[in-house]
Amino acid sequence: MADLSVTLCGKTLKNPVIPASGTFGFGREFDEIYDISCLGGVATKGVALVPWEGNPVPRIAESRGVILNAVGLQNPGVEKFIAEDLPWLRQKTRVIANVVGRTIEDYEGVCARLDGLVDFLELNISCPNVKCGGMAFGIRPEAIEEVTARAKAKCPSTPLIVKLSPNVESIALNAQAAERGGADCLSLVNTFTGMAIDIERRRPVLANNTGGVSGAGIKPVAVRMVYEAAHAVSIPVIGIGGITCAEDAVEFMMAGAVAVQVGTQNFTDTRACPKIIAGLNEWCDAHGVARVAELTDTLKLNERRKTC
Amino acid sequence: MREITATVLENKRIADEIYSLTFAAEEEIAVRPGQFCMVGVGGFPLRRPIALCKAEGERFTVCYRVKGSGTRALAREYKAGEKLSVLLPLGNGFYVKEQETKVAVVGGGVGIFPLISAIRTYSKNKQVYAYMGFRNRAAVCMEYDMTRGEKLTLATDDGSVGFHGTSVQAFMQDVDMVCPDVVLACGPTPMLRALKTAMRDKDIPVYVSLEERMGCGIGACLVCVCEKTDGAHARVCKDGPVFEINDVVL
Repeated sequence: MADLSVTLCGKTLKNPVIPASGTFGFGREFDEIYDISCLGGVATKGVALVPWEGNPVPRIAESRGVILNAVGLQNPGVEKFIAEDLPWLRQKTRVIANVVGRTIEDYEGVCARLDGLVDFLELNISCPNVKCGGMAFGIRPEAIEEVTARAKAKCPSTPLIVKLSPNVESIALNAQAAERGGADCLSLVNTFTGMAIDIERRRPVLANNTGGVSGAGIKPVAVRMVYEAAHAVSIPVIGIGGITCAEDAVEFMMAGAVAVQVGTQNFTDTRACPKIIAGLNEWCDAHGVARVAELTDTLKLNERRKTC
Repeated sequence: MREITATVLENKRIADEIYSLTFAAEEEIAVRPGQFCMVGVGGFPLRRPIALCKAEGERFTVCYRVKGSGTRALAREYKAGEKLSVLLPLGNGFYVKEQETKVAVVGGGVGIFPLISAIRTYSKNKQVYAYMGFRNRAAVCMEYDMTRGEKLTLATDDGSVGFHGTSVQAFMQDVDMVCPDVVLACGPTPMLRALKTAMRDKDIPVYVSLEERMGCGIGACLVCVCEKTDGAHARVCKDGPVFEINDVVL
């Protein structure tokens, strides 16, 4: 029996497996299938200052090995979250409240309201499916630094995770920008902007035309980005992107992640997260790893021959 | 609601592009008419939401149209004996009050299948009048299960069987004579829209079962929303799929 606990910003998680924001609601529905207190934490559905209705339907499409979504951050707003979901979820496991906004003031407002009430705040500056806010804050390093700094000023007593977009020029520079802005931790990657076309109708499948690509097919790109980000900063990194099994989680941890988030696989297999937790324990036992935390950043790159 | 590993008993073509899949769970699971399940198809990240058509203890039948690569794989690869990951029962289902003794069901396309579960259930102690629409003769299926009620009217777009026209048109010809206490409907959106318009001045409650592309199927991901007349979004998978027709924008 390996020790699966990991420490993130001074807080202990019973294991490194966290369902990713947007795939898990606030946990209640999945708790009907299994007791979600087995999870390392839950990254909640994005929470805004006021309720958002989101995008028109269809909001989801499928392509080989991946899905595309354009939900548009529909959410009940921070007050309803605090009143109806947070007290219940807090009793279950670590709460990572995903924070969304259209303006910097929105992000500040949610962070201020939730400071001290949740275990972590995760600043979503990487959603590709909203016109204002979302990814607009998460592409240029200067914008990332500013929104991070202003959000962090409003949540002095709660560790702030900045969730990064992969739709960028340099993930390393963006990671460093978040760190400079005062981020306590990074999570990456959010979804890749994509499009799926219904060739019979000659129209995009998604009502929003484009959507965020996630699922097993994005994993190698995500692993590379986690590696680059983790080696560019000194704050911890949470790895996200196409994780379907314990071995995938191990890969992200070796690349530099302290913990992982599992998204799309929750749709494919409702029990994906508990299976990955059990699988991590087995993998560690089979490989003589006493503590799963030892896996983080143990990748050794191959020596490359100089060809030019 | 639970996630089960079911065994396929039968998966056969029953009409043009339509397959009937019967699977067995390890134990009895109670379901309501109009509820659905999410069927996992190997190699595809998303499960397919499909209405439960028949439920007999631990045996369930769903019918689906082969439309894309997922349903094609489901039809081709899941023979008797194969294992199938299924989430069920999902959604609210139909609810007919005790005093509502005359039930009309109006269906079209694959929308007839959730209504078959309603006919099977309510014909035990109520009068059920069924109006089922198909494209043509080749599309007609499950007639035996549809005849359990008081009366069955088939309608085809080309008139090759039964009433020449839509099931809504067939129903509207009968409605004042039958005087149903409640109407249950499922089918393509234009059909439901026509029903809503036609029933506007009748004082009869109409419940519709909606279809939408889904992510999780259990209410967590907010992918499959429909617009309510009050402007809010409701989850088709969890708050529905059955809604009072005047509560939703069609």
